[in-house]
Amino acid sequence: MKMTMDSALADARERLLARAKRDGLTTVGYDVLPSPLGALWVAITPRGVATIHYGEEPSASELRRLIRVYGPGIVPDHKRSSTLARELDQYFTGKRREFDIAYDLSGLTPFQTRVLNATAKIPFGSVSTYGAVARRAGNEKASRAAGGALNANPIPIIVPCHRVVGSNGSLVGYAGGLDAKRRLLAIEGAEVARPSQDGAAGAAPYVRGLGPGRQGPEHADGGRRP
Amino acid sequence: MEDPALTFGQLLERHERELFAYALRLSGQRADAEDLYQDTFLAAFRAWPPPRRGNERAWLYKIATNRAIDRERKAKRIVANVDDLPLAAPRRDDVTLVDLAGAIETLPVGQRAAFVLRKLEGLGYVEIAMALDCSEEAARARVSEALKKVKAAVA
Repeated sequence: MKMTMDSALADARERLLARAKRDGLTTVGYDVLPSPLGALWVAITPRGVATIHYGEEPSASELRRLIRVYGPGIVPDHKRSSTLARELDQYFTGKRREFDIAYDLSGLTPFQTRVLNATAKIPFGSVSTYGAVARRAGNEKASRAAGGALNANPIPIIVPCHRVVGSNGSLVGYAGGLDAKRRLLAIEGAEVARPSQDGAAGAAPYVRGLGPGRQGPEHADGGRRP
Repeated sequence: MEDPALTFGQLLERHERELFAYALRLSGQRADAEDLYQDTFLAAFRAWPPPRRGNERAWLYKIATNRAIDRERKAKRIVANVDDLPLAAPRRDDVTLVDLAGAIETLPVGQRAAFVLRKLEGLGYVEIAMALDCSEEAARARVSEALKKVKAAVA
């Protein structure tokens, strides 16, 4: 039987990682997934998806967070990313409006966590504003800080920070680039050119998209599932 | 770009290919090479963190070499499996692969490691000295002694 170096190494690596896992040496699995928005570096912890990063390599700060929380046992793992890969694929092809996979915000500050959990409640096909998200995170004056927390969102797409726009309806910014933000909102059929009215007392926090059947169901549990 | 901290995955992705090739060249057999590769990385993960930043490569070679020497002492002699030799072969070569692999295989393990690290893996003497846990001078001596023997064997 003739074997190439590549297949011999792939076999050896698979067995090595299985042994390391059995011995409790590894904690987090990562993978690079293709998507219509380019490659995504993703990391899955025992609690859920901890990272979706636009690009083939994680950012230094993202890696630092993972190492701080889970140690250095962060290894390539295609099996572990398969559920996420399937859900993302369904989302990008218009077959999924909500993610069932759990997410993991360990290592973030309480304020960041509140902002991101509030963002996770913005329904598919809707947009909200930084001010509204700050209010839902418990500090309505902190819209700039909420913007900072969203800017550092480690799990874009699943925690849909693309659904947060400026109070005048402008897209403002996005880690994956404004074009990615536009495309995500287009997939969801969200209307963004229309300014939100949620500065007014008691106003509805979300601006609904205008397309037919775009009433996204609201998460009942903050998106964090055990 | 700043490299904040190292993960097992990064160490693996950066160095596993050359370490696996080294294991194949040292042992001459795929099954042994795979064991050596696994043992090397598991030992590295257990001994985490690497002793000094930027020396991960030499550190891994050192672990692999020590493990290979231990194994050899226990198992005494290894007979190379001819089917596995093309895997272990250097890319450019005038002599036949079987001749060369056979010649390398007859070297004592310390000299074999030195020879493979220098001539097949292309490490510098500083790294070889670290990997073999000896002085640079001793590393040069071992490579030169091994080279003499290999040349004689394939002449």
